[in-house]
Amino acid sequence: MSTLPADRVSATAPEMPCPTVTCVFAVTDTTPPHEAVSVTPGHDGGGPLRVLAAGPLHLIVQDVPAAAFGEEALAERLNRPDELERCARAHHRGVETAASAGPVVPLPMATLYLDDDNAVRAVTARAASLRSLLDRLRHRTEWAVKVHGPGLGHASGAAGDGPADGRSYLRRVSERRRTEREERERALAQAHAVDRELRRHAVAATRHRPQSEQLTGRSVPQLLNAAYLVDDARRAEFVRAVGELACDAQRSAVEVTMSGPWIPYSFARSDETERDAHEEAGA
Amino acid sequence: MTDLGTWPAGPGVQPAGPPSGSLADLLERVLDKGIVIAGDIKIDLLDIELLTIRLRLFIASVETAKKAGIDWWETDPALSSRAARDALTEENARLRARLAALEDADADTSEVTR
Repeated sequence: MSTLPADRVSATAPEMPCPTVTCVFAVTDTTPPHEAVSVTPGHDGGGPLRVLAAGPLHLIVQDVPAAAFGEEALAERLNRPDELERCARAHHRGVETAASAGPVVPLPMATLYLDDDNAVRAVTARAASLRSLLDRLRHRTEWAVKVHGPGLGHASGAAGDGPADGRSYLRRVSERRRTEREERERALAQAHAVDRELRRHAVAATRHRPQSEQLTGRSVPQLLNAAYLVDDARRAEFVRAVGELACDAQRSAVEVTMSGPWIPYSFARSDETERDAHEEAGA
Repeated sequence: MTDLGTWPAGPGVQPAGPPSGSLADLLERVLDKGIVIAGDIKIDLLDIELLTIRLRLFIASVETAKKAGIDWWETDPALSSRAARDALTEENARLRARLAALEDADADTSEVTR
C-alpha cells in the first residue's frame, strides 16, 4: 500500500491541471441510473459522480482533488466539525445515489485510490464477500430506534419541605435518592424490553453507544441507541411495533423514537470481510 | 496529530448540526460502519472518529450515563484503552510541568540561600 507522495499533494500551481485521486463511495450489483448519479453533488471541489464497472459489481466514484484528500490534509479537515459534517453529508449522498436501484455496501468515508484501476482491483479482489453481503442486504433496510429516559432529578421532591431538623432532612434526601435510583432502573429495564421486543421483528440488531446530550440536544439521557435490519416485507410490522412501544412508553417517563429507513450502514459488515481486513492490516 | 491536551475544548466546538440527532445518527453510521477495503491513501478514520466525535461524545455523556446506570461501552476495548491512554498522557504532562516548576523554584531558592 503506497501513500500519496508529498510533492503530488503540494503541486497546486494554478496553470497545472489539478491532480486527482479516486474516491469510492459504495459498491452495488445493480447499475444505478447514470443520469441520477452524475447530478448528485459529491465532495467539494471534485468532479461529477461516476459509475465504474468492476466485473459484476459497480462502484460509485468521484475524482477528488489530491491536494485536499492527502493523508494530512484530510486528517486536518476531518478534525474540524464543520468540514467533517460536509464530508459526511457528501459521502452519504454518494451512497444514497448508489442505492437508488438495488442493495448497496457503503465503504467508509474517504476510501481513496490513486486511480480507477487501483479501485477496481481492490474491489474485484473482494468481489465474493461483497456479493454475499449485497445478497444479505437486498430488500432490507436499517431502522434506528432510541429510548430516552427520565431526566435526572425527575422524581426529586424538594428536600427542603417538612420539618427542618437535620435528621428529617437526611431522611428526605435518602428517600429521594432511592426514588431516583428506582426510576432509573425501571427506565433502563424498559429500554431493554423495547430492544428485546424489536429484535423479534428484525433480521439483525446492533446497539450503538448512547449519544451524549450535547450531541442530541436533549436534556434527558439516552438509554438505548439501537439499529435493526428489517426485511422490507416486514417493514409495516416493525413500524407498528415501534408505534405500540412508543405508546406504552408514554405512560411512563421514557420516550421511544425511530428514524429510518436508513441505508444499512450498521449491517454492511460480515465476519469474513472483517477477518480479511484484519489480515490485510497485519500484512 | 491533534493536540489532545486542549481537549475537551469549550462549548463552542461541538459538531455543528441539527439538535434532533440526525447529524449524530449520520456520523455514527458514516464514520464507523461499512465494509473496509484498504485504500491507497491511508486515512485512519478511527483516529478521526475518536478525536472529533467518539471521545467528545464519550466524555460528554459518561457522567450522565453512569448516573443512569449505562456502562456497556466500558467493555469497548478500543474506547476505554484509548481514553485511559489519553488520561495518562494528560496526567504525565501535568506532572512534568509541575516538576519543572518545582525545579525552577528550587533553583531560585538555592540561589537565594547561596
